[in-house]
Amino acid sequence: MTRRIRTPLGLLLLVLLCACSLQGAPRSPASRPGGAAPPAGQAGAPGSAAPEAPQTPPAAAPRQFTLGPAATALVAQAHKQSGGGDYGQAAATVERALRIEPDNPLLWIELGRVRLGENNAAQADATARKALALGTGDPRVEASAWHLIADSLRARGRNPEAVDAERRALGLAPR
Amino acid sequence: MCILAACAWVLYLDLQVTRQFEGRRWTLPAQVYAAPLELYAGEPLPLPALEQELQRLHYRRTDRLESPGTYRWSGEHIDLALRPARFADETRAAQLLTVNGGAGGILSLRDSGGADVPVLRLEPLLIGSIFPIHGEDRIVLTPAEVPPLLPAALKAVEDRKFDSHHGVDPLAMLRAAWVNVRAGQIEQGGSTLTQQLVRSYFLSSRQTLSRKLREAVMAVALDAHFSKADLMNAYINEIFLGQDGDRAIHGFGLASQFYFGKPLAELDLSEVALLVAIVRGPSYYDPRRHPDRARERRNLVLKELAQQRLVSAAAAGAAAARPLGVTSRPAGAYYPAYLDFVRRTLRRDYRDQDLTEAGLRIYTSLEPRAQDEAERALERELARLDKVHKHPQGQLEGAVVVTAPQSGDVIAIVGGRNVGYDGFDRALDARRSMGSLVKPFIYLTALESGRYNAATVVQDAPIDLKLQNGTHWKPENFTRETYGAVPVVRALAESLNLATVGVGLDVGVPKVAATLERFGLAAKPAPVPAMLLGAVDVTPLEAAQLYNGLANGGFKNPLRAVRAVIAADGKPLKAFPLEVTPVAAPAVVYQLDRMLVQVMDHGTGRAARALLPPQLVVAGKSGTSSDYRDSWFAGFSGSHLVVVWVGYDDNSPTGFTGSAGALPVWARVMAGLGTNSWNAPMPESLAEVHIEYPTGLRAVPGCAQDLVAVVVPSSAALAEKPGCGFPASNPVSSALDRAAQWLHGLVH
Repeated sequence: MTRRIRTPLGLLLLVLLCACSLQGAPRSPASRPGGAAPPAGQAGAPGSAAPEAPQTPPAAAPRQFTLGPAATALVAQAHKQSGGGDYGQAAATVERALRIEPDNPLLWIELGRVRLGENNAAQADATARKALALGTGDPRVEASAWHLIADSLRARGRNPEAVDAERRALGLAPR
Repeated sequence: MCILAACAWVLYLDLQVTRQFEGRRWTLPAQVYAAPLELYAGEPLPLPALEQELQRLHYRRTDRLESPGTYRWSGEHIDLALRPARFADETRAAQLLTVNGGAGGILSLRDSGGADVPVLRLEPLLIGSIFPIHGEDRIVLTPAEVPPLLPAALKAVEDRKFDSHHGVDPLAMLRAAWVNVRAGQIEQGGSTLTQQLVRSYFLSSRQTLSRKLREAVMAVALDAHFSKADLMNAYINEIFLGQDGDRAIHGFGLASQFYFGKPLAELDLSEVALLVAIVRGPSYYDPRRHPDRARERRNLVLKELAQQRLVSAAAAGAAAARPLGVTSRPAGAYYPAYLDFVRRTLRRDYRDQDLTEAGLRIYTSLEPRAQDEAERALERELARLDKVHKHPQGQLEGAVVVTAPQSGDVIAIVGGRNVGYDGFDRALDARRSMGSLVKPFIYLTALESGRYNAATVVQDAPIDLKLQNGTHWKPENFTRETYGAVPVVRALAESLNLATVGVGLDVGVPKVAATLERFGLAAKPAPVPAMLLGAVDVTPLEAAQLYNGLANGGFKNPLRAVRAVIAADGKPLKAFPLEVTPVAAPAVVYQLDRMLVQVMDHGTGRAARALLPPQLVVAGKSGTSSDYRDSWFAGFSGSHLVVVWVGYDDNSPTGFTGSAGALPVWARVMAGLGTNSWNAPMPESLAEVHIEYPTGLRAVPGCAQDLVAVVVPSSAALAEKPGCGFPASNPVSSALDRAAQWLHGLVH
């Protein structure tokens, strides 16, 4: 499985030359703006730590996620659907919103709530963890995610773990 | 006696025809739809791009909105007359919508009353149907869905006495017989629409006298039992109107989609006339293959319609001056590789018969724009590679898979360079050695062990491993050189084999195999050392499944093409919901992903930079299998994952690496997608630092050359470049200790 040089050396040189000429100064994604506008309603580009702040996590003010108008409308629709017991439709509607704002942790929490409604506690837990990963730095989002994790644990009869999760939630954003 | 027998025969035919006609149920192949385009304020979709999407759905630009399926563009807004649409979760009536656009995309949406509309989707594009092999495909229409001009035109051209005859028209038959006898061959039909229906519905197409007689008796029987309106509707849905490979196009509903890409109700006079013209001989008058013949017959039909005062002479004249208007490619034959994946997904849950007969509607994740980009990129780059490498034209093959990583939606699949051809689907079936695509999973396993980070110095040194069978395994670097002490970030970026094998052996081959399985490899690979250099066979789709977990921050979602299956009556049958499973700690995956960003900046992916938008942050990895048989590139942005494979079907060497073969295809696809930067949030337990790329020593910008930003656990002790102003610490020894330990482990 090793690579052997069978290609003419000239070609190899050409490739290397090409590559070298393209090599710019090292840049970190954290100090680079995104290529396209972030989805509407998302506060603070994730990972946009101040450049050159070694050994410290993003030092900027706590992030605060909100939903854009399209996602807001879809979430309202999903609430109506799950209120009527139609969790399948509600999940499909939240998925529509997620296609518009896939990085918004609030939508992952919404999806987790629907999953919990249809007694899929494992998926509720997984989506909450997805929300935690995306919502790092926003205490309210992190608290909601931990509440969801607590509820999903409780739904599976794992009460002591649920109490721990609840405690983490309350530590982040006291109710 | 004879008369009795004849009576019995007639009664028998009568019974047969009425019973079959009453119990008729057209087999309805499942209709497959692409993902609908969502429109919303703030969407980065400029009006010209919206217009392209409308044209894909065959919306017509007009000066004033007349009917559904038209739009008007004036200045900064597009007014849309939306067609009625059926989605997986709702049905929407036709409606008016105004889209206000600006430089960045959509500013607002308003309904006909001027109220704000937060979000609304265009109807999904019909991308094909699942029909039986050598089978009939059709879209059944109710009488209300048929424009009145069509039955009128059919009568005018095919059967003027349809409303008054009793199933047969003896005079017309005699006239046809006379013409045929004189010509010595069959030139005229003389069949009524009812006879044509009987022929299509009950009989073979052989032209014999006895069959003619049966046909006539059955036509009379049908006419006696059923209304003219019923018969006309049956005819419109039944008649054969074209052939598309194995697929027989039946009925005007599907023919309209097949030739014009839009519903029958939206056809103009010239288009209706063309369909009526085709009835006489779908192969002979095929407007794609024989446009001149088709045009001539269409104009004849138009003349006939004018003569019978169904349309004005002026309208007929104008219609005759119009081009044929058929789409260049038949609708429903666009995306064979994608449909292949859809079929395979559904065959797990449905019998073939359910799919080909029950009228299911299948909603998929295909994004036509992404699919087109992927097809174009592959065709173009393979043609270029043919030229550059002086390969025989057209034999180099490739495959592309594009996903939306967060949802696991597969949005495009290209199965080969001949994209319209429904043949070997390489994206799903080409099982090839993954080469260096395996390396990120080795380093992920290493990061998980807690003993490695991006700055950890590892040894790129000769390896000689005695295998159980007594042979020696001596892997080499691509360049056949060794690089000595290098930081992990560099070993991955430059795809150094020796350093990687060392790390893999240190963390344990079975652990690496388990990581691959966790990320979605169907079968756990054999834990042999050669696995560390990619001796694992995967299809491009499987590679996409593995990398999707990296693109999605350590969460696995089953890649899915189908979102929902809806029964003919609108009842939801099955949903394939979005599911995520955590398979690796987000902090570990984040560290790895940041190293994959360095692959694009410093390593084997950097040639992509020239083809990508300047500020776009992407992460990826090249792969080359032994002897250059397979050229891979897998990588992702914030919103898309693209996997490209390039190679020969017979597994012969291509002569180029993943960076030379698959990378340019990958970069072109990525650049064409209009994607967002990879921009995942950094977990709080991590810190970004700068290290010297060649040595891995921590430094601050300005104090050393050739720095790269890497992310390591905040608690990690890093060796520092002397004289860079760091307070005294002693992390160097620990890194050296690890290197020594590793060498020790290797030797013993």
